[in-house]
Amino acid sequence: MEIAVIGNSDFILGFRLAGVEMTIAAESDQKLAEAVTRVLNNNSVGILVLKGSDIERLPERIRTTLEESVQPTVITIGAAEGGVSMREKIKRAVGVDLWK
Amino acid sequence: MALKDVKPTRSELINLKKKIKLSERGYNILKMKRDGLILEFFKVLEEAKGSRDAIGEKYARAQGIIAIANTVEGSIGVKAAAMSVREKPELTLKKKNIMGVVVPEIEATKVKKDLAERGYGVLGTSAVIDETASAFEELVDEIIRAAEIETTMKRLLNEIESTKRRVNALEFKVIPELKEASAFIKMRLDEMERDELVRLKKIKAKSKA
Repeated sequence: MEIAVIGNSDFILGFRLAGVEMTIAAESDQKLAEAVTRVLNNNSVGILVLKGSDIERLPERIRTTLEESVQPTVITIGAAEGGVSMREKIKRAVGVDLWK
Repeated sequence: MALKDVKPTRSELINLKKKIKLSERGYNILKMKRDGLILEFFKVLEEAKGSRDAIGEKYARAQGIIAIANTVEGSIGVKAAAMSVREKPELTLKKKNIMGVVVPEIEATKVKKDLAERGYGVLGTSAVIDETASAFEELVDEIIRAAEIETTMKRLLNEIESTKRRVNALEFKVIPELKEASAFIKMRLDEMERDELVRLKKIKAKSKA
């Protein structure tokens, strides 16, 4: 299993330095969406790392898929976006807002 | 099950009683499962909070260091070093079972490397690059841990939700309907018995007269 990182070239550079091989540079919105769909369909990817601000640039449909996705697990860095969706999920399942 | 579908017979009543018993047993077991899952979930939740903060912190630190590296080495120098890194972190997946929910246990190897393993030359680059690399390696390490926790949470939440739905369906829909049906049958059977009694009395009165 692999880690995949998608983002602008500055974002992925550091991950290359740490040895992550599957880094995909995507500057425009369209390229970003394409790259994310491709990674989601790739079975060998276990973890997908995205920048929090990039999530907001994705189309709504892909965003919901990302939030629901278990494999690959999507981790967002930066903005609190990932926390918000998790918070919603917790509220729905348990009935109480437990996230802080 | 609508009331009009129920045949008011004794065998139907016995069947219904069996069904009620079964549903109640299932309801109790599912309720216990739900409570157990929520308990497990609480344990994971604490860890998840911590890991999210840790990622933010490590990311900020790594960003700072790479900015320094870009200034010292120039972005081309950093890129060159990044391209020459050979060893990639490898993940192995194991499965863990939490109350019937299969949850991954991710183990990573070769995330943290020492200088010689990184692949770019030691002579050609400065110490800033090394620091950047190790900062990002730490970040990746944290991300892997967070990924495990987050997957666990998502799966647990899905299971909690469906279990809760089942518990509620049994409690508020299935069991009340079965009970209603059995009450209806009982009433009809009693009514038929009274009918029969009255008829017998009438016949007796007629035959005496």
